[in-house]
Amino acid sequence: MHVHVHGGAVADVQLRIYEPPRFFEAFLRGRAFTEPPDITARICGICPVAYQMSSCLAIEDACGVAVTDEIRAMRRLLYCGEWIESHALHVYLLHAPDFLGYPSAIEMAQEHPAVVEQGLRLKKAGNAIMTVVGGRSIHPVNVRVGGFYRFPTRDELTALRPTLQQARDDALATVTLVAGFDFPDFEQPYEYVAMRAEDGYPMESGSVVSSSGLAFPAQRFGDHVTEEHVEHSNALHARLADRAAYVVGPLARYTLNSDRLSPLAQEAATAAGLGPSCRNPFRSIVVRAVELVQACDEALRLVDEWRGAGPPYVQVTPRAATGHGVTEAPRGLLYHRYTLDADGTIQDAVIVPPTSQNQASIEADLRSYVQDRLELSDEELTRQCEQAIRNYDPCISCATHFLDLTVDRT
Amino acid sequence: MTPDVRSALVVGLGNPERGDDGVGAEVVRRVAARALDGVRALHLQEPVHLLDESPDADLVVVVDAVLGPTRPGAVTVHEVDDRPLESWTGTGGTHAVGLAAVVELARALDRLPRRLVLVGVEASVFDTGTRLSPPVQAAVDEAADVVVRLVQAQQVDR
Repeated sequence: MHVHVHGGAVADVQLRIYEPPRFFEAFLRGRAFTEPPDITARICGICPVAYQMSSCLAIEDACGVAVTDEIRAMRRLLYCGEWIESHALHVYLLHAPDFLGYPSAIEMAQEHPAVVEQGLRLKKAGNAIMTVVGGRSIHPVNVRVGGFYRFPTRDELTALRPTLQQARDDALATVTLVAGFDFPDFEQPYEYVAMRAEDGYPMESGSVVSSSGLAFPAQRFGDHVTEEHVEHSNALHARLADRAAYVVGPLARYTLNSDRLSPLAQEAATAAGLGPSCRNPFRSIVVRAVELVQACDEALRLVDEWRGAGPPYVQVTPRAATGHGVTEAPRGLLYHRYTLDADGTIQDAVIVPPTSQNQASIEADLRSYVQDRLELSDEELTRQCEQAIRNYDPCISCATHFLDLTVDRT
Repeated sequence: MTPDVRSALVVGLGNPERGDDGVGAEVVRRVAARALDGVRALHLQEPVHLLDESPDADLVVVVDAVLGPTRPGAVTVHEVDDRPLESWTGTGGTHAVGLAAVVELARALDRLPRRLVLVGVEASVFDTGTRLSPPVQAAVDEAADVVVRLVQAQQVDR
């Protein structure tokens, strides 16, 4: 990250932390329409399910296929597993140390082992769901276009209940823990973009809405979102057409869907001091904790309501067409688009991950944030900027203290 | 599994879609193919997922691509002891929790396995695509042999 300070004011902030998956897009050309779920799952080791879900929806859209309610419910359960795992990892191992004044989770674990164990228990619960539904805990092999190779049995799902009940308790304890943190007074007038479904909190299906009143289906994503290449990095900054930068992720989801949280999650949010919307990125840790409660609650509901009726997948026959899919990855909206030829060979692929979409806003945040903290040493400024970036739970490809901050003071 | 065969967990780390980062998975595949008694072989893309595995095994061997000073294809072995582990691979996967951080976190929680050995294969090319670079591909069998010898030595050492 490069900051240029001139005459006591921040002249420029340039951030190079994320490389969009353009090589994966190129790699997908010439592959079969059945392959994106497996191939794109490798883009992110923490959210493979998100890539599988968005790619399945996009391929199914191209082929004119809608899955059954049972398949959708099972996808939602699988996604609950991933949200639990991803949010627990971020809250406990990456973000909480910042608020408690520890350089990393390691030092935090030395003084608060029970707290970290709670987080790891949550992570493992998410993992357990993914193993039962996805077929393997880390890279779900049970997912295919059209649904799943097999459904879990009622017994396999019921066996998850004790783990999920413990996880729900742990999630509620997480909200209590993080609600007590000190949050800098920092609000930004973001435009939020998230999904909204026919009912429930958005995860595996729905259309796209924004806080300024936009509403469009996945198929119109390209009409509303443009990606512009930014000179100083490999990044493509995503912008809503004719508008400023926007934000996706827990804060956007929460602000646009807080009315759709389960009663228990709603109660936890209120007790944590959250109103119907949240525009302080530092409070994202509280929103993630509330989403942990939501995901655990939802997982229990899905397990209890599961009847296992119908086939685990619907047949998907390729045709020459372009298809679009959006789902809510733990980090935010994830868009896939595939163009197929008549025998299902992929002609073109576009993948817009949540971290890509947040890049412009992260930079804008840092610009404001750094402006008020110019008197800090470069070391302290670096630490605080890392914390500010972690608000977005970005996908990055470097080590824990990843911010190489250079400050030019002229 | 016979009673006097000790258990071992062999884990290959890394992303098979990123060139040499796939070496961990490839080595573990070779080890699994030998179907040794009492050995469980696993591929994990991210080091942080090691924390979900219970350290019941007598021996845990983790295989990963490393950035090293020697040459691509060099195989290194490090026995984790009381000393804190310095950055092992130099990368933290996609979410900044690298193998060294995972090991030290496990240590802080008193969760380290009874014996943990890290086998590294020096790598150089991490482009998207599933091919290992020639020196790394050439090192796969050697690394698999190293892992098998570790496991077998553990099993006779009673």
